[in-house]
Amino acid sequence: MTADYMADQTDIDVVRVAPKKQRISDTVYSVLLITPAMILILIFALIPLGYAINVSFRFADLTSPRGVDTFVGLENYHFVLNDSFFWDSAKRTLSFAVTAVSIEMIAGVAIAFLLNSMRWFKGITRGLIILPLAASPVAVGLIWRNMYHSDFGVFNFLVSSIGLPEQNWLGNKDLAMSSVIAFDVWQWTPFVILIALAGLQALPKEPFEAAQLDGASTWRVLRKLTFPMLGPVLTLVFVLRAIDAIRLYDAVFSLTSGGPGTSTEVLTYYLHRVGLRFFRLDHGSAMALLFLYATVVFTALVMRRFMRDIAARTRQNVS
Amino acid sequence: MESKKLTYGVLLRYILIFAILIMFLFPIYWMILTSFKSSEDILTRPPKFFFEPTLDNYRYAFEEADFVKFIRNTVIVAGISTMLVISFGSLASYSFARWNPGDGHIMFFILTTRMMPAIAVIMPFFLIFRDLGKTDIGKSLYLGLDQPGALVVAYTVFNLPFAIWLMHSFFQDIPMELEDSARLDGYGRLQVFIRVVLPLAAPGIAVTAIFSLLFAWNEFLFAFILTRDAARTITVGVSSFQTQQGILWGPLSAAAVICVVPMLVMALFLQRYMVRGLTFGAVRG
Repeated sequence: MTADYMADQTDIDVVRVAPKKQRISDTVYSVLLITPAMILILIFALIPLGYAINVSFRFADLTSPRGVDTFVGLENYHFVLNDSFFWDSAKRTLSFAVTAVSIEMIAGVAIAFLLNSMRWFKGITRGLIILPLAASPVAVGLIWRNMYHSDFGVFNFLVSSIGLPEQNWLGNKDLAMSSVIAFDVWQWTPFVILIALAGLQALPKEPFEAAQLDGASTWRVLRKLTFPMLGPVLTLVFVLRAIDAIRLYDAVFSLTSGGPGTSTEVLTYYLHRVGLRFFRLDHGSAMALLFLYATVVFTALVMRRFMRDIAARTRQNVS
Repeated sequence: MESKKLTYGVLLRYILIFAILIMFLFPIYWMILTSFKSSEDILTRPPKFFFEPTLDNYRYAFEEADFVKFIRNTVIVAGISTMLVISFGSLASYSFARWNPGDGHIMFFILTTRMMPAIAVIMPFFLIFRDLGKTDIGKSLYLGLDQPGALVVAYTVFNLPFAIWLMHSFFQDIPMELEDSARLDGYGRLQVFIRVVLPLAAPGIAVTAIFSLLFAWNEFLFAFILTRDAARTITVGVSSFQTQQGILWGPLSAAAVICVVPMLVMALFLQRYMVRGLTFGAVRG
């Protein structure tokens, strides 16, 4: 078989030993393969979404006898966009995301450099450092709540034993958000560390050896070589973290329940309050859809570049 | 640096790394420690690091709070949803990697479903499963409220996009020539997939399975809303120790340990795979 095949390079259609006759074309086959997944996604993602869109244009108060009622056009959206609680929680969510993700990126990359320079115990250190990621946010969140306890918590104990004043970590409305941020940083910095570390380890050696031969200083190498090459990786981590940070819920649920007052009420938590506490499905749906729209637009702008790369790679493979 | 000397610089670095590790591991240590404390030892001032350990909290969790049921539910739901995610997801992912149906648009759509904040669809989900649970199909597939089927479906749907995206890079990495030569040898497309592609993509699929399992196990919101009693999972069980009379810290810590430690053990043993998975999409894909 191979002899025939290789002899005639110009006429590749000529010799096939015993290829199976395709009864279905490649295109149909490829669609068949994606069907099970698509059915699930279409039914259980699109229908709920459609329902939410429908309700967002109607009056829907589950506590009133009217229930899900008449079409009210854009009234719900008007309400939401004029709702100061909505904008406050949106602002809070954004400020949380920016602060938390920035700290995670800076600390994560710094620690990744540190880990990368290790000669011994690198593997086990890496294995240990991803543990916070594997823990359920609700479960460890509640443990953190115990550690934040103002009278009996271990954080205040540690803080006072080095001479600093004890704090009401979760009860002080100026401090509560920072406490939530600290928890998120604890859980997600390992994520940044991991990916930054892999990025560092994947960098080619030659440019750095050349730079060393040329006598470049460490700082210069970092600035002109390391960081530019890490750019794509760091951007991806940033986007992944940003998308997840604005959807924070479990941490707020277990640490503060949005409190004290509304000082830690992020968008998802306010949404939960409106939809599941006040049962205003109409406002809740409108809010959720605005939220979804903002997230999708933001991600689409960034991910579009990646999707194009993936499509290009596939085309290369198929041709 | 070529020399292997233990310089002060290296020592300092390792001390720093050790301190960082302590910071990241301390809450876990505290969780495990507290779970063995009797109720008098928990809320003390100053907090106790040394005490008489007791299994009371675990006994409470298993006997009074019915954690055996929660564990069983979580294992069933996480396990089945992971299997569904892997089977449906690998087929779809392979198809996208090989033929790209929809020219990137369908795949993009699938990725956007991952962006849906759960809170946006939770009410429709509640209503859908409430109604499904009353139908015959629903009852036979356990698809109602407070039934495991509902959670299985929810978790599968929410994990599929991520799984497809993750496995995509692994499938793309398998050289076309291997598949082509198998086709030339007379194998059909499905056989090529099963005999050639799957074994080679096995590590990637394993990684995806690990992550799907992790997400399903740790998930809270859907379990909280869609279950009440019969199908309740561990995460909801943990949060249920926040009562009107206050938080039962002892049993809560034991519950948290039950929830967290299995996943920690899995992460420790499989960390090499998890790292590959996390970084594959980021660094290579």
